[in-house]
Amino acid sequence: MPIHAPTLPPRPLQGEGLAPALVLARFEVRRILRQRLGRFFGFAFALVLLVDLALVYFKPMAGVAGQLLPQGAAFQAGLLGKVLLFLLWLQVAQVGGGLVARDTLYRIRPLMYAHPVRHLDYLLGKGLVAVGLPFLILLPFILLPWGVSLLMAGAQGPVWPTAPLHLIPAALVVSFLMGILTLGASSLASTPGGGFAWALGGVLGCGVLGTLLSGLMGNPGWYAVSPMALAQAWPRILCGASGELGWIATGLGTLVHLSFWLGVAVLRTRPREALA
Amino acid sequence: MIRFEQLEVRYGSRVALQGVDLELGPGVTGILGPNGAGKSTLLKTLLGLLKPNAGQGWVLGIPLGSPESVRLREQVGYMPEYDALVEDVSAFEQVAFWGELSGMAAPQARDRAHEVLHFVGLDESRYRAVSGYSTGMRQRVKLAQALVHSPGLLFLDEPTNGLDPDGRSRMLDLVLKVRDQLGASVLLSSHLLEDVERCADHLVILDQGCLKASGSMNGLRSRLARRCELRFLDPLTPGQEAALQELGSLLATRNGLYDLELLEPDPVAPFRWAQAQGAVLVQLTPRHDRLDEVLLRALHG
Repeated sequence: MPIHAPTLPPRPLQGEGLAPALVLARFEVRRILRQRLGRFFGFAFALVLLVDLALVYFKPMAGVAGQLLPQGAAFQAGLLGKVLLFLLWLQVAQVGGGLVARDTLYRIRPLMYAHPVRHLDYLLGKGLVAVGLPFLILLPFILLPWGVSLLMAGAQGPVWPTAPLHLIPAALVVSFLMGILTLGASSLASTPGGGFAWALGGVLGCGVLGTLLSGLMGNPGWYAVSPMALAQAWPRILCGASGELGWIATGLGTLVHLSFWLGVAVLRTRPREALA
Repeated sequence: MIRFEQLEVRYGSRVALQGVDLELGPGVTGILGPNGAGKSTLLKTLLGLLKPNAGQGWVLGIPLGSPESVRLREQVGYMPEYDALVEDVSAFEQVAFWGELSGMAAPQARDRAHEVLHFVGLDESRYRAVSGYSTGMRQRVKLAQALVHSPGLLFLDEPTNGLDPDGRSRMLDLVLKVRDQLGASVLLSSHLLEDVERCADHLVILDQGCLKASGSMNGLRSRLARRCELRFLDPLTPGQEAALQELGSLLATRNGLYDLELLEPDPVAPFRWAQAQGAVLVQLTPRHDRLDEVLLRALHG
């Protein structure tokens, strides 16, 4: 107990703080860093990165002993490979699934809108985390092998000197796809677990649908229904490697997913909705 | 500070507030009404969370539903009725977060979070996650987040919800301190009449979305001071009963007792009237109505 009667001097408000979207994003990042699962994914990604780096070093030497050789487009695209992207889907679903759902669970969204936070600020703050997190995770998977390759063999290394120019835009598109999908899924749920289930269900469900449709129609373009297939397609397309999905199907599929899940997130996080 | 003209708010087809004309000044204003009366809707409309479907309203000079209402929220604090706390985060971190969301710089918000948590009596437990807090502590964290940016106007939605008598008393003391020490105006929504009676300078009574009564507590109390019960030696004749109007409004008659609201708060007036009418007044009992009687009368006529 205080030994004197507590008082609170009036203090004038100084409008020099961060933008609400950034305050929201920072609060979320701190929350994520406190989670045990966050640490688990940190180790998992570190392991995949080590394997990637080992591949950069050993794979090109298999043919001609002791000599590093430039590799093809598929190898470049492989830096953002299936295992990494699958792990990332899991991680983003786990983190992103709780972004909006946790606010619903604790009923703090109406309180946010009772502060000078607009609907756009809220979505930007959450979107920044949902999209920024996968992008920041993908970035070392591009830059580290690229840097190692450059250090080992310069322009003659297995990773193209221009690889980041292909892979960073791919990582950005993939991050948007993952982030916006999980944001929309999270807004459908009222618990973080529900958000995770919605996100994973969305990804896997669309994956099954894509496989079914492509089998029924006999056209692999229908794989574009699957967000997982889309995420794998973008690095290949931007590196110029061949794959089942072409530019048009991948672009269209991504656009449809982004529009749909963003629409869901926008509708489900309106101030009026928050009061329901 | 707050003005409404024929305000109407609907949830779909359901009318939550209808034809509300109201003007409120500084001080503590109690909003009374049964569950579903529209109290929370009124607060949410004031915050700009709900747009009026008809009519107009101004809070601190800013029109409701206008794009400027975001700016309004820098000047008001809101304590919601329900738990709006992140369970795994400490009270300090949450209050600082809300301060930053209100436009404060991070160091200033952190300093202020310490001060405001000290003010509400949570200084020693401010670093603990709120999941371990009692109901009273949770309510005080909610009050702290509403106060952190030093708002001039505070909306408190059922601040004593779920509190034991001691916790309620401490919360109401805090509300009064907010008014007296910080000079902030408070809109206190409650269905607990004693809370409103203890804190409020003004009173607004809502029922089924309609404004039933509003005014200052002093005015209300002076009206209450005019209530009295009279008993005469002999039953009054119909003529005398009709003449009672000269004295005040006859509210009820039972077992020879006349329940009156006098025109003037003058206790001698009934004796003078009785003398003039040739009646013998044997009992005059001032009726000190409680607030619940006022509320019931406002709600049910």
